[in-house]
Amino acid sequence: MTAPLHGLRVVDLTMVWAGPFGTRMLGDYGAEVIKVESPRQWDLLRGLGLIPRDVPRWYNRSGYFNHNNRDKYGFALDLSNETGREVLLKLCEVSDVIVENYRADVMDKLGLDYDTVRGRNPNIIYVSMPGHGKTGPEKDFVAYGTNVEQLAGLVSISGYEGEGPMKTGFSYGDPMAGTALVAAVAMAVRKRNRTGEGSYVEVAQRENLTAFVGEYLVDYSMNRELRAPAGNRHPHIAPHNCYRSAGDDAWLTIACEDDDQFRALCTVIGRPELADDERFSTGAARKANEAELDAIIEAWTAERGHYEAMHILQRAGVPAGAVLTIPELMSDPQLRSREAWVAQTHPDAGTWEMESPPWLLSRTPGHIRLPAPGFGEHNSYVLREVLHFDEQTIARLYAEGVTADDPDEGLHR
Amino acid sequence: MPQPLEGLRVLEIGNFVSAPYCGKLFSGYGADVIKIEPPGGDVSRTHGPFKDGVPNPETSALFLYLNTGKRSVELPLDEPAGRDAFLRLVETADVVIENFRPADLRALGLTYDDLSAVNPRVTLVSITPFGQQGPYADYRGNNLTTFAMAGQMYITGTDDGGPLKNGGYQADYQGGLNGFSAAMLGVLAAERDATGQHIDVSVQHCMAPILEAGIPYYSYLGRWNRGRRGNHMASFIGIYPCADGHLGIHIMPRNWKPFTDAIDRPDLFEDPRFVTQADRTVHNDELMAEFYAWAATENKHELYERAGKMRAPIAFVHTMQDLLESPQLNARGFLTTIAHPVAGEATYPGPPWWIGPDGWSAGRAPLLGEHTEQVLRDVAGLSSAATEGVAGGRP
Repeated sequence: MTAPLHGLRVVDLTMVWAGPFGTRMLGDYGAEVIKVESPRQWDLLRGLGLIPRDVPRWYNRSGYFNHNNRDKYGFALDLSNETGREVLLKLCEVSDVIVENYRADVMDKLGLDYDTVRGRNPNIIYVSMPGHGKTGPEKDFVAYGTNVEQLAGLVSISGYEGEGPMKTGFSYGDPMAGTALVAAVAMAVRKRNRTGEGSYVEVAQRENLTAFVGEYLVDYSMNRELRAPAGNRHPHIAPHNCYRSAGDDAWLTIACEDDDQFRALCTVIGRPELADDERFSTGAARKANEAELDAIIEAWTAERGHYEAMHILQRAGVPAGAVLTIPELMSDPQLRSREAWVAQTHPDAGTWEMESPPWLLSRTPGHIRLPAPGFGEHNSYVLREVLHFDEQTIARLYAEGVTADDPDEGLHR
Repeated sequence: MPQPLEGLRVLEIGNFVSAPYCGKLFSGYGADVIKIEPPGGDVSRTHGPFKDGVPNPETSALFLYLNTGKRSVELPLDEPAGRDAFLRLVETADVVIENFRPADLRALGLTYDDLSAVNPRVTLVSITPFGQQGPYADYRGNNLTTFAMAGQMYITGTDDGGPLKNGGYQADYQGGLNGFSAAMLGVLAAERDATGQHIDVSVQHCMAPILEAGIPYYSYLGRWNRGRRGNHMASFIGIYPCADGHLGIHIMPRNWKPFTDAIDRPDLFEDPRFVTQADRTVHNDELMAEFYAWAATENKHELYERAGKMRAPIAFVHTMQDLLESPQLNARGFLTTIAHPVAGEATYPGPPWWIGPDGWSAGRAPLLGEHTEQVLRDVAGLSSAATEGVAGGRP
């Protein structure tokens, strides 16, 4: 069946992670995404692939780049050049969506602001993905990956019990903004289908992530009390923790939501009497005595592998989950059975496994149709078949360095 | 200008966080969202934190936040009359959101086949820890166990402290947002083709690939860095305690000059140990010691404002109080006050993304069963007598 975004052309100016991750999913689900990079300033993920610089076209072999940019076409265009900007506007005339994640002032300074683009294509869907938004006193402040969750309030409620705030193990705000981008674009497309009008859409990364701690904000506004980090524990569910398993740095989580699950846990660990012990027989009692309870549970988990313990507990109806490492994720039977990892071939980088489109749409599934573009790989397609430029114009763009088939590597070594 | 999701009717039979967050987004952007609550209500009503710390199903901050703008219908789906009434609502719906264990949904007789039999245009969005198929599909999961099984937990925290869940219900929220994005693709396809489908969202599958470069480095290069890095990716990317809170710095090569300017430390800029990012990495521990000493006496608000204006990448760890008082969030109108008849007034985050001045609306959360009669009568077309037999749950 035809993919949900079939027929939608997206001009993608985004770099690094949040934007490219989001536009990649637009591509996964059928959009034609044209990724624009400057011959002198490519997407810096090309340089973060740990590829030795003496390998031919090393910048096309970055796994980090190639995972986040598949299902896109690559077009080299210098936006610092006036001719380049004019080419971009022409591209917007024949496109449906433009996405950018520059700092708030950059597109305005380039003369590629919403009003200018809309002047060339009145129905354009123009999406900005700034850290703080395009307005407000902090709009021009720098906010990189790790800052977003700090600004969103999440870090203040994360951390071990009795200790200070702790960051998430990765730049959490980025992929959440990318995921939101798909919804934001789809909503704007729906609106255009119904009204004939385009939209200006703004995914301010800190606001998108603040929505993930909304109950804490509502709570604070009602009660004026700050909640301290609680580690892996829960305000009133117990047991709810991470327990040591057999092996090196191996761990298992258990979170019992009711008395039945707790009773099943007690039976599995050979301590059925605990379910009726007054220290643990009710949720409130378990919460009050959870340190004692955690020690009893860990005595059992520490003797077993994390996967083994998870399966034993799950068969008895106890919510338990192994703490999986990256190698374990890539061999996990559930993710394998879902075909979460699929082998793909890239002309420069070879064949390896990457993640499949995450959401399974039964009638209109996503697909990996294209490997990530090599630098400037689809210049000809974009210039000739999308923009319909004549050969003389194209030759001039190359001669002036507005486009190029090879990047200026000197700036990136 | 109409809201972007105007004209859509969404039924939510989900509990707790993931499916309700998905439903909340539908509601905020203009859809008519009918939340079906089991007799007694969504389990989040029993979770705090409550207004004034007093348990009350109408004052749970978690429920109030996740269910803004919805209508509430109290309906026992596990009884024939309740199921029948629900299926009459499905006839009028564009989207159904659920987060039951697949076996439990089958037991209710509310699978995609059951729904599409009464309305072939309906899109069913299932948000579950592991997805609809596979060896763990019917395993029990929740926020903590899903965070673990999806790889985000192993890399959060310190080596000594062990894997750490981050605050709140982050696995559940990720499920809700992914469910919404997937659902919107389903809406576009359904409106184009006049046919619905089943959308299967596995939270584990959504979460596992997004560990920065972790998966590509391992999959493509066979490289894997065991362990956890606590609050520091490096000395120059991390969190430091300051006089009244915590600072977060994230220095890319081009920021070294503005950073040392903003903290008024030209000596660090001149120091031959710290000239390039590679130098700073080699002398990581020495630089970290400098940063700890520097940060200890700084005031977070004052520094943040000064550094921001100088384009130095210094943020601070915002507490809920900082969010509420944030000049940026207030200037943008992101924070909104919503009044509720039982809980009173509270401040809520606004639209996660902005799509026009009228794109988002913020109604209050419903009382339990507040719209049962209205919805069963006006939407399901049941007579008052029939409504009475169904509403209010079990006799």
